[in-house]
Amino acid sequence: MNPLLMTILKFLPLPAAWGFLLLLPADAQAIQLHLTSEGIITHQMGHIFFLVSMVALIFTLSGKGLDQQKGWRLIRYSAFFFILWNLDAFFGHFLDNQIQVVKLENISFSQMRMVVHENSQVLYWVYYALKLDHLLSVPAMLLFFLGLSRLVKEQQAMVVKKESH
Amino acid sequence: MTGSFLPILLIDVLGSFAMMILALLCLHKARILREMDTDNAVFLYLIWISTGFAVFAVSRSFGHILKQFLVLTGNPDAWHAISPYSGGVNTVSFMLVGLITLFFNQTWKINEKILSGRQRLEEAHIKLKDLNQTLEHQVIERTERLAGSEYKARRIFEHSLDTILVMDEKFNISEINQAGVTLTGYERKDMLEKKMGIKDFLEKPLEWDRIRSLLEVHEHIVNEEIDFLRPDHSLVRVLITGGVDYGAFGCGKSFHFIIKDINDKKQMEQQIAQADKLAALGELSAGVAHEINNPLGIILGYTQLLLKEKSGFEEDLKTIEKHVKNCRDVVSDLLAFSRKGSTEMRRVEVTKVIEDVIKFLSNHTDFRNVDIKLNLFHAEPLIVKGNEQELAQVIINLMINASHAVEKKGRIEITTEKSDDGRIFITVKDNGTGIRKKHFSRIFDPFFTTKPVGQGTGLGLSVGYGIIRRHGGDITARNRKEKGAAFTISLPAVPPDDSE
Repeated sequence: MNPLLMTILKFLPLPAAWGFLLLLPADAQAIQLHLTSEGIITHQMGHIFFLVSMVALIFTLSGKGLDQQKGWRLIRYSAFFFILWNLDAFFGHFLDNQIQVVKLENISFSQMRMVVHENSQVLYWVYYALKLDHLLSVPAMLLFFLGLSRLVKEQQAMVVKKESH
Repeated sequence: MTGSFLPILLIDVLGSFAMMILALLCLHKARILREMDTDNAVFLYLIWISTGFAVFAVSRSFGHILKQFLVLTGNPDAWHAISPYSGGVNTVSFMLVGLITLFFNQTWKINEKILSGRQRLEEAHIKLKDLNQTLEHQVIERTERLAGSEYKARRIFEHSLDTILVMDEKFNISEINQAGVTLTGYERKDMLEKKMGIKDFLEKPLEWDRIRSLLEVHEHIVNEEIDFLRPDHSLVRVLITGGVDYGAFGCGKSFHFIIKDINDKKQMEQQIAQADKLAALGELSAGVAHEINNPLGIILGYTQLLLKEKSGFEEDLKTIEKHVKNCRDVVSDLLAFSRKGSTEMRRVEVTKVIEDVIKFLSNHTDFRNVDIKLNLFHAEPLIVKGNEQELAQVIINLMINASHAVEKKGRIEITTEKSDDGRIFITVKDNGTGIRKKHFSRIFDPFFTTKPVGQGTGLGLSVGYGIIRRHGGDITARNRKEKGAAFTISLPAVPPDDSE
């Protein structure tokens, strides 16, 4: 068979499909409407994804035996604190944005009003604690910084050792 | 329910600032790591994740601070308008961090491959370096060995007592050692500049054609005996061995020769042959002399008896008597040569014998116009064991021969020496005509003479030879470099205090 004909037949299905779509359109569903809760769902999914990635990092570091080195060990601790922070944030958003059982209103710099479902004291304090999420994220970031600092030191020591050899 | 907002506010604002600062510091540290090892994929990964954290921390912290500011300053509506965007950026940023985190495993594997490749590369580099060093050492070692070998070869070449000579393909000398310079008598520089070859040393240049054809046919010659003619016209008998070298390492074809000076050996062989010949002649002469001596005695006796009576043949008888006496003298000399005579051996002082001989000869007409020079050894008495008259006779014979060589008007020198090995040398030198080469082998033969018929019996040197041999010595003749001949008597010395 003619090679040119062969080539045409080989690539024929692709233009044919495009032609079909252009010439015979059905009801298009290209643009979908998004509900208002979609933002918080996406945000929560992001937290879960971040959490899972941190769990994966912890296992990866352990699996490779990197936790034997202080630098990577500190990074692993950082990942752990990020997991805690993600849980904190997730539950915080769950309570105020998703199921809306808690609502915080600022009265002044020093005072706030918290509207809690059925005036639950437990929920009040749980939510209050969850709002202090920087107590988890800052240590997580600090541990990550310390881990990197340690890696820098180890690397510098290795370079000195190599040069002395 | 109301409560204190201050802890939440302080922790939120301060925590946001801390997060931003720490995230930026992390990015800084990650950059340091990356700069320390640009090939490390994990460090690159740490830059990515630090960048992700920085974006996350800055966007989130900025959002939080802005929120607190707007709400507390009574602008909650403004915050409500901004919050979706802040939240969106915040969501994207920590999802980005999560996404980057998931690539850690892949990044680690890539880095391991890079490190393993680098390790292999370093190992290969070290191995290559080692090989290079080994190669360098080998080159140095072999160069040293080569230099040592070259030095040895050069020493052998330079210090060989035999001549080592190299000629190029045109048979011009390219190298010759010191022994060769001494043997040939030419300057090395001259030989090289004038493009001389073995052909130029030969007494008979035609012999070169024979040697060359042998080289061309057999590619070598072994122990070819030929004569070299030196610039001072003296001849040297040499033994040549040589071969062709077709060259290697960029060297062209060349011819290598080892030339051995066998002059002394040859002379010694000739002397031995001469000694053997003279010994045989001595034996023969002794027999002949003995057989002739008795009839001569009878003839002389009867002649003298007849002379006592008048017979008219007195003149004839006197002629017979005269010639018989001559014959008897000859026979007497023959007996002396053949050692058959009886002589008494005593301690003889050589210097005194020579002085007596000179005193005796100074009155002789043959020596009136001859300049006799004495160069005698006086450091200690030169004592030999022998017969004074016989030794004197030998010296007289040598002096007479010398006077004939200088034709009675030249110069004769007598020198005495004593060697460390206890031998005394008496040399009689003249500046006469010298000895012709063809006569060398015969000068000690009985009855050999170069003088006109009737002027010499040809027994002087042979008798002298016999006497010296009987004294345990030797006598040799040679032509002097300058002019004339030299005869050297060698005798064993006796210690001056030896009373025996």
